Amino acid sequence: MKVTYNWLQDFVDITLTPEALADKLTMSGLEVKGIESVGGDFVFEIEITSNRPDWLSVLGLAREVAAITGKKLKLPALPKEKPVKGKARVSISIEDARDCPLYTAKILTDIVVGPSPEWMRRRLEMVGCRSINNVVDVTNYVMFVLGEPLHAFDFDALHTDSIVIRRAAEGESMTTIDGQVKSLSSDILVIADTKKPVAIAGVMGGKDTEVIGSTKNVLLEAAVFNQVLIRHGRQKLGMQTESSYRFERGVDIERAVMASEYAVSLIRELASGKLAGSVSEGKKTAALPAVNVCVPWVQQMLGVTVSASRMKSILAPLGFMVTAKTKDILRVVPPSFRQDVKAPVDILEDIARIYGYDKTPVTLPSIKPRLLSNSLREWTTCVRETMVGLGGQEVLTYSLIDRELFNAAGFSGEAFVAVANPLSKEQEIMRPTLIPSLLQCVARNLNQQQEYVNLFEIASVYIPVAGGVPHERLMLGIALSGSRSLLLPHGLVREEIGLLHIKGIFQALAARLGISAVSFVASRKSDEISLLLGEEVVGSARMVAQKSLDAFDIKNKSVCVAEINCAMLIGKATAAKRFVQLPKFPSVSRDVNFVVKEEISAGDVIEAVKNQAPAILRNVRITDYYKGKQIADGYKALTVSCVYRADDRTLTEAEVNPAHELVCDAVKKTLGATLR
Amino acid sequence: MSGVDFDAIQASIEQEIVQILSVAQMDEFRLKYLGRKGILADLTGSIPTLPKEARGGFGQKVNALKTKLLFVIAEKEKTLTFDTGAPRKLPVDIGLPGIAHELGRKHPLTQVIEEITSIFVRMGFSVVDGPEIETEFNNFTGLNIPLEHPSRDAFDTFYLGTDAQEKLLLRSQTSPVQIRVMKKYKPPLAVIAPGRVYRPDAVDASHSFMFQQIEGVVVDKGITFSDLKGTLETFAKAVYGDDIKMRLRPHYFPFTEPSAEVDISCYICHGKGCSVCGRKGWLEILGAGMIHPNVFKNVGYGANEYTGFAFGMGVERIAMLKYGIDDIRLFYENDLRFLRQF
Repeated sequence: MKVTYNWLQDFVDITLTPEALADKLTMSGLEVKGIESVGGDFVFEIEITSNRPDWLSVLGLAREVAAITGKKLKLPALPKEKPVKGKARVSISIEDARDCPLYTAKILTDIVVGPSPEWMRRRLEMVGCRSINNVVDVTNYVMFVLGEPLHAFDFDALHTDSIVIRRAAEGESMTTIDGQVKSLSSDILVIADTKKPVAIAGVMGGKDTEVIGSTKNVLLEAAVFNQVLIRHGRQKLGMQTESSYRFERGVDIERAVMASEYAVSLIRELASGKLAGSVSEGKKTAALPAVNVCVPWVQQMLGVTVSASRMKSILAPLGFMVTAKTKDILRVVPPSFRQDVKAPVDILEDIARIYGYDKTPVTLPSIKPRLLSNSLREWTTCVRETMVGLGGQEVLTYSLIDRELFNAAGFSGEAFVAVANPLSKEQEIMRPTLIPSLLQCVARNLNQQQEYVNLFEIASVYIPVAGGVPHERLMLGIALSGSRSLLLPHGLVREEIGLLHIKGIFQALAARLGISAVSFVASRKSDEISLLLGEEVVGSARMVAQKSLDAFDIKNKSVCVAEINCAMLIGKATAAKRFVQLPKFPSVSRDVNFVVKEEISAGDVIEAVKNQAPAILRNVRITDYYKGKQIADGYKALTVSCVYRADDRTLTEAEVNPAHELVCDAVKKTLGATLR
Repeated sequence: MSGVDFDAIQASIEQEIVQILSVAQMDEFRLKYLGRKGILADLTGSIPTLPKEARGGFGQKVNALKTKLLFVIAEKEKTLTFDTGAPRKLPVDIGLPGIAHELGRKHPLTQVIEEITSIFVRMGFSVVDGPEIETEFNNFTGLNIPLEHPSRDAFDTFYLGTDAQEKLLLRSQTSPVQIRVMKKYKPPLAVIAPGRVYRPDAVDASHSFMFQQIEGVVVDKGITFSDLKGTLETFAKAVYGDDIKMRLRPHYFPFTEPSAEVDISCYICHGKGCSVCGRKGWLEILGAGMIHPNVFKNVGYGANEYTGFAFGMGVERIAMLKYGIDDIRLFYENDLRFLRQF
């Protein structure tokens, strides 16, 4: 809402500078977004909160200025004109009083339409309203002064002497003043003559009945329409006008009557003419119920001892009628333009606002400790920190994605939650997987010449549930690409990122979460590796297919992705720890080199060792791997390191040798391995 | 010269040697005693002036002193590092890059969320989470926002196309967590709820259709407006420093009354006005207020039984102010050159 310094002076004496006034307004809840100096005046741009339609007027703002500066509000003296003798030449019919509580029409005849005087044109232009002609300008001017939108029809263009306020019929349409053809429906309120709609109530008038240079007689509308209906209608029509803005926030019935009279006097002054008729339908007053306010309650809430009389002196300039009901109870009657005031807390707010938020004390609440447990969040932090410790860079990506992105990442199907009103196709679906967004991040960074990308995200994915609320599942997504290089003193070591890195990450994560039963299963059907905790699959990993890499414009790099059900992982986590005695006796380590067929997995070798494990075998692991010239084609060499130890004695050669023999034989026998 | 006090010289040698910490000091010491014009040279030079019978004994004492000096110097030198001017041969060229795997990092927004939540946790708040997919009741009606009301304009909302009985939406604010928490627990309550929220805004340097918010709620008997001020001031000082000022401007939110927008004095220009604060000297950081009685009614709390306050802040805004970031899109583009700065 724009208002000028001088215009406000019409209703209140201001002694403050524009800047000081702006500051005071801001600190009382009318945030001044800017002040512009225009030809000796100052235009204030003020943000008006949606609960205060009364502030959408110069008078309303002047009342606030008066209240916060301790000045008196100068109410304009409005001449009440009586219509010249004769029959009102129009009747009003309101179809439903809930849609339109009040409709007034004034007929002005013998009007001379022409330009407005300079002072009015300037004021309108300063608040952002284009001057049209003296009659239309008066309706706008009065709207700015009093907050009540008015509309003037060319009376002779109306096809009847009867005005009907009704819902539009399905299939009806109308051309509005801005030249747009609007198709109407039964949820839109219109002003109609007997033939057709002539205005979209509260939003915009029709082209056919517009007041133009040749207009001689005018019907001046001042009305109050249902807030919800106006809002709904203008949203449906995709319109927003100064008029609808005020109607949907709520217009004061008593001011509507006032506005009509004020406009008549201004039109008569500027465009001559006679008041030939005045009719109205509906109620003209809107008494609001009184609110009882408990004085000690206000004092307690604000932490200050504002007296009842001080409260009264704060509230009276705002238009409230305040009487003391008892010593502690004030009976407060809101003015008709304060439909937002319904409860004591509404009064409390006005008292606090004018008293000054900055004048209330500062204390700390005595918070009683109440530890609401949130183990999912705590463990999620643990997962995040482990990922960071492993060198991962956390990313945050949008939960809404493009359907094409989903498909490009190699996913298909319709198993996702769709957004009903996306702004663009980038927000079409709620992602059922983190992978597409991660691939997008990988592509972006590879494009920036990054050699090595190690990203992860912890976020929800959304799984549709038939007939119910979609499930939000917390996932951990990982994407690795490129190669990590280390410059060692003897030269550069390049480490190509691959699935074994995912395996390492998953193992480290599980270990950190106190989970031991981790395994990995390669699918025979796809390139996917399943990540298991016990028997349960909690995630999967794969090298991204060439087709997807192409779709994301990733060139000459392979990308490895994994997605783990973080909630499930966390479900298995445990913080319980139990100390195990450190060994008292030394261990003996034996390495053995097996040559096995290429298709035999290192995991199979470990498995074969473990199956035959004598009690003193405490640890087995692969310590080297070789494939090349020194080994026959189709075979590979694996070095297996076995650690033997007993808890109660130092092992002797005589004990270790046969045990190790047993282990070697088992591998030879079950896997056809030979010793190298 | 026969009256030379050898004990005193010995004592001062012992005293001085322990105070030597550098090679330079060592050189100075050596020059003082063993130099061409040093103390020992003086003593030796004085021998011919002595009576013949005294020369032998004196010479012995000088020699003993020299032996002693050479010994303490040798011992001390073992403890000092010498810069001989010529490069010493190190086992490795220390100019080569250090060997370590690159550090991972949390996303800057995660870091800011953790910083903010930890401040409130230290004040006694618990951290809670709520779903992103919400009902109209929790996101609007329960929060005293009528479905058909201009106050909803500030909360444009994404709706979901599901076959669920209830109309579902993506929460446009973290405030629905208030409703969930209050429905589940009776006061006293002090909770903080961070999370993703969604609004159909066209994306530009200061708008994002998804962003992070943090909601805070305190409910108990006798919670006051001044408690709200104190809590927020403690928070603001913890984030932006003890010397910032805070102010509450009256505002309107349907779910709180009285409501306020909360500004801090610009920490760049200290209130004088600069480009960061738009010459205002103040920076808006959050919205807050006393919980509206209708909200208490909607969650089933008895009338006038409790009072409380709530506040909500945009994490991106806090992070942008904290780090001087000028474009909200950077947070979601995840360019490593950006992320590695935090």
